[in-house]
Amino acid sequence: MTDHKTSKEQKYDRQLRLWGDHGQEALENAHVCLIKATATGTEILKNLVLPGIGAFTIVDGHKVSGEDVGNNFFLTSSSIGKNRAQAATELLQELNSDVSGNFVEESPDKLLDNDPEFFHRFSLVIGVQLPESTCLRLGSVLWDAGVTFLVCRTYGLIGYMRLIVKEHTVIESHPDNALEDLRLDQPFTELKHHIESYDLDSMEKKDHSHTPWIIVVAKYLEKWYSEHNSQLPKNYKEKEAFRQLIREGILTNENGKPEDEENFEEAIKNVNTALNPTKVPSATEDIFNAEQCENITSQSPSFWVMAQGVRDFVRNEGNGKLPVRGTIPDMIADSDKFIKLQNVYRDKAMKDAAVVSKHVKALLQSVGKPPESISEQEIKLFCKNAAFLRVVRCRSLAEEYSMDTFNKDEITSCMDSTDSEKVLYLMLHSVDRFYQQHSRYPGVYNYQVEEDINNLKLCVNSLLQEYSLNVNVKDDYIHEFCRYGAAEPHTVAAFLGGSAAQEAIKIITHQFVPFNNTFLYNAMSQTSATFQL
Amino acid sequence: MRTSLLSPLDQTAACPRRRNAEPTMAQLVGPLRKELADSLSSCRVLVVGAGGIGCELLKNLVLTGFKNIEVIDLDTIDVSNLNRQFLFQKKHVGKSKAQVAKESVLRFCPSANITAYHDSIMNPDYNVEFFRNFQLVMNALDNRAARNHVNRMCLAADIPLIESGTAGYLGQVTVIKKGQTECYECQPKPTQKTFPGCTIRNTPSEPIHCIVWAKYLFNQLFGEEDADQEVSPDTADPEVAWNPADAAARATASNKDGDIKRVSTKEWARSTGYDPVKLFNKLFKDDIMYLLTMDKLWKKRKAPLPLDWTEIHQLESSQEEAFGTGLKDQQVLGVQGYAQLFHRSVETLRSQLIEKGEGAELVWDKDDPPAMDFVTAAANLRMNVFSMNMKSRFDVKSMAGNIIPAIATTNAVIAGLIVLEALKTLNSDFDQCRTVNLQCCSFHAQHNFDGFPNNNKFLSDFGIRNGSRLQADDFLQDYTLLVNLIHSEELEKDVEFEVVGDAPDKAPVSSVPEEGKNIANGNKDSAQPSTSSKAAAEDDDVLIVDSDEEPSSSTMETSLESSNRKRKHHDADTDDAASKRKRLDQQPADDDEDIIALD
Repeated sequence: MTDHKTSKEQKYDRQLRLWGDHGQEALENAHVCLIKATATGTEILKNLVLPGIGAFTIVDGHKVSGEDVGNNFFLTSSSIGKNRAQAATELLQELNSDVSGNFVEESPDKLLDNDPEFFHRFSLVIGVQLPESTCLRLGSVLWDAGVTFLVCRTYGLIGYMRLIVKEHTVIESHPDNALEDLRLDQPFTELKHHIESYDLDSMEKKDHSHTPWIIVVAKYLEKWYSEHNSQLPKNYKEKEAFRQLIREGILTNENGKPEDEENFEEAIKNVNTALNPTKVPSATEDIFNAEQCENITSQSPSFWVMAQGVRDFVRNEGNGKLPVRGTIPDMIADSDKFIKLQNVYRDKAMKDAAVVSKHVKALLQSVGKPPESISEQEIKLFCKNAAFLRVVRCRSLAEEYSMDTFNKDEITSCMDSTDSEKVLYLMLHSVDRFYQQHSRYPGVYNYQVEEDINNLKLCVNSLLQEYSLNVNVKDDYIHEFCRYGAAEPHTVAAFLGGSAAQEAIKIITHQFVPFNNTFLYNAMSQTSATFQL
Repeated sequence: MRTSLLSPLDQTAACPRRRNAEPTMAQLVGPLRKELADSLSSCRVLVVGAGGIGCELLKNLVLTGFKNIEVIDLDTIDVSNLNRQFLFQKKHVGKSKAQVAKESVLRFCPSANITAYHDSIMNPDYNVEFFRNFQLVMNALDNRAARNHVNRMCLAADIPLIESGTAGYLGQVTVIKKGQTECYECQPKPTQKTFPGCTIRNTPSEPIHCIVWAKYLFNQLFGEEDADQEVSPDTADPEVAWNPADAAARATASNKDGDIKRVSTKEWARSTGYDPVKLFNKLFKDDIMYLLTMDKLWKKRKAPLPLDWTEIHQLESSQEEAFGTGLKDQQVLGVQGYAQLFHRSVETLRSQLIEKGEGAELVWDKDDPPAMDFVTAAANLRMNVFSMNMKSRFDVKSMAGNIIPAIATTNAVIAGLIVLEALKTLNSDFDQCRTVNLQCCSFHAQHNFDGFPNNNKFLSDFGIRNGSRLQADDFLQDYTLLVNLIHSEELEKDVEFEVVGDAPDKAPVSSVPEEGKNIANGNKDSAQPSTSSKAAAEDDDVLIVDSDEEPSSSTMETSLESSNRKRKHHDADTDDAASKRKRLDQQPADDDEDIIALD
């Protein structure tokens, strides 16, 4: 068992550094359903099987043909004539013995007819190269069941993804440039006492130059306050003056030259971010004000229970502030001073989390749930990330397609550039319309191309008319989409396979923020864009 | 540009393009121009690297219709590759990446014609002629030295190159074509961090210093010895208990080699049978006591605190509570824990040495558990001695291995983009202009020629060969001349060399610095040897500047003049998904997986 764990740690070493062992655990508990094992589909699954998702199930009623083998790495000549779900499962399974592979030899439409609840069991359903009608039907089943749905499509040199999830909560959003949570503007009691325990003026040189910069800034801030009405340095000029104040505190040698005190240099460098006023970020504030946060029931996901716990902390014990994060950056200091300071923040963070925990437990009990249904560890993680919480809400496919609710503003904005990716979106809709009328995509047969161009043009126009969209779609695009012949070139599928799998990992691990809600990729111009449709 | 890959509508062909019973490339014929699709089966391409990007790339190439592919990789397969390098399985661990990748691809696509080389692309056998065999070269590398090399070779051979790299969630693809785009070395890259030897040996102030020290120590004790990387001083008789007089004697001894019979640390370690306790006390007590005798080092610094094996084991073990949650690797042990780990790892490494036989050496590898344990333990014990916060094995591994996180998804995206760029590259009619761009052209390694005794020697004696680049600069460094050497058998009799190509536009004075001018321009008061800005002052021999170093800035300024940058503004993934990237600590963002750049 331990051996197995070590070998996993070794195998997954390079990714554990990105999403941690709890992210890995979430992956290993996930069961992903792939509908249609086309090139795009198997590429996505490959990128999920390699990092070790728990299980996958492929749903596909199609028999492998020669052209499938030509662009799909996970089908070989010997699989021609076999069921595509089965053939792909066998080869994908080889990639990682820790993953359990399953398949269902049935078309998604049949399954929807006979057993729509089949889809309820999955953590995520990924639908690839689906006709519009199947996509909409499945979309509605999954929306009602609360299962996340990722639609992916490679159409010639175009890639398309659509994420449909009612509500996706993210505790660890891994922001790029998060500010530290130091509370220098509003030090808590323990920090105040700790700052008071330092007396820079009576220090030996060695101690003076090994005092953490946070203390240095705090000390000079006291000095600043006494001369500035207890107001923080606000603008550039004041901050510059404050920096100068710190600079003057650097010890000098017998010749009056300033000594080399790196901790003071660090303090000067950090003035700008260290003095950022402590406040609740607006995204977190929105979460506190959300209805789900207000009305906790026994069905509420733990995210919302904890959100209310933190909200209550902010409104009561926290005096308007979030729980202290409890981490400080690395800095020049001797170990002893650094650890003491770190402990001041860490202890306060633990204390705050304990208060939040009390709120959470009381809340759980009030809705009739055992208080231990949310662990201390979860609460600590939540408190630590309270400033970075995110909730992603996507619109449903029904809303996107309905005459009453489609996002006209988003579609028509920026359409003055006739080469916007939004044109590609309209074109994909148009080829779907074509498919509805002709039961095939335009340009699939060479001898029909000319006729298809005209028919596709009609589809584009009727689409624009129906949705009363006053936009111009250049003929070039119509020709181009006919040329594509609904082909699925491998390298575009590979690109989309990587992108889609990455989004899937975000969704499964609840780390990082997924796109919302439409992604379009143009392989010719190497551009991509996301829209909220 | 948008339609260049598309076939003009072929209205005469009335046959269906699809529904074949044999494997076909039907998916391509639609989107690609027919001539382009056809040319794929005849062109030859080189893939440099069969790792994360390389595996994906080989798959994409065969499924896009490329038939003649050569792949080269020096590396063998490791367990930590399996989370993304999908052409490899557990049973392949230890085998050649290039060879196994070839076999796996052929299993799926038997019709491809793939040649695999288990070799370094920097091997001189792969010369300009070799590169000229290809229509296109694609890099799937993980280190800058090899990237620089391939860049230079492709420029010399005038073969388009597609350069790529990933790091965690980030990645990039660039097309490099002589005379049309910037080359790989046109833009300065952040230099990889190096540390002064004295910091490593005597005055570490950051954990990384201790980690580098521990890696050096590994080599000093178990691996190939390197005089520049000796971190534990040799001793006359290390078994004698430490005392100040003895230390003073030793200090003098180290200044006057030979006065006292010195025993190398490795020999001594061997003579004790790699006794972990003796080693521990030498490294963390005696050596530290010796450092403490250099009292001027500690005037302004916090002095180190020696550790004693017996003493630390008398500590209450209750203090040894490990903290940090999650994986074992992510916990930070206490001093006692690391002392135990040190003990265990030394014993394991000792038995590994014995197993390998007389005179054997171990090679440090971050993925080899005992080697990694040793470095984790030794580095942490030293961090403790120098009053730093200790680090978990996980973090030490990141820093020691300079590990760049790597995942399947980013590699897949990047490899997809490479092939799309490859199609464009093969499709475009690159200008046949022959502007010799002195700054951007072929070069191999930079050499410093200042005042070294080169009488009666051939350039080849200095490792300078066809494709090498020589850099000459004047004493005041007003200008720089770069000479690209091209070997020729066709010169007339008695003609020793020929200058070809254009002088750079912006050379401020003359483009040929003469020896006399150098002296005249020199600072006469200075007795210092004239060295380039990069060369260490004491090196007056020929210096092959590490190819990881970037050309001097004067070089790059001129090179920018004559090249057009073609940039792809494509975020590797969803553009608006803002939080895709995770901050990478200290690693340069251009590598696929792991590079060791610390030494």
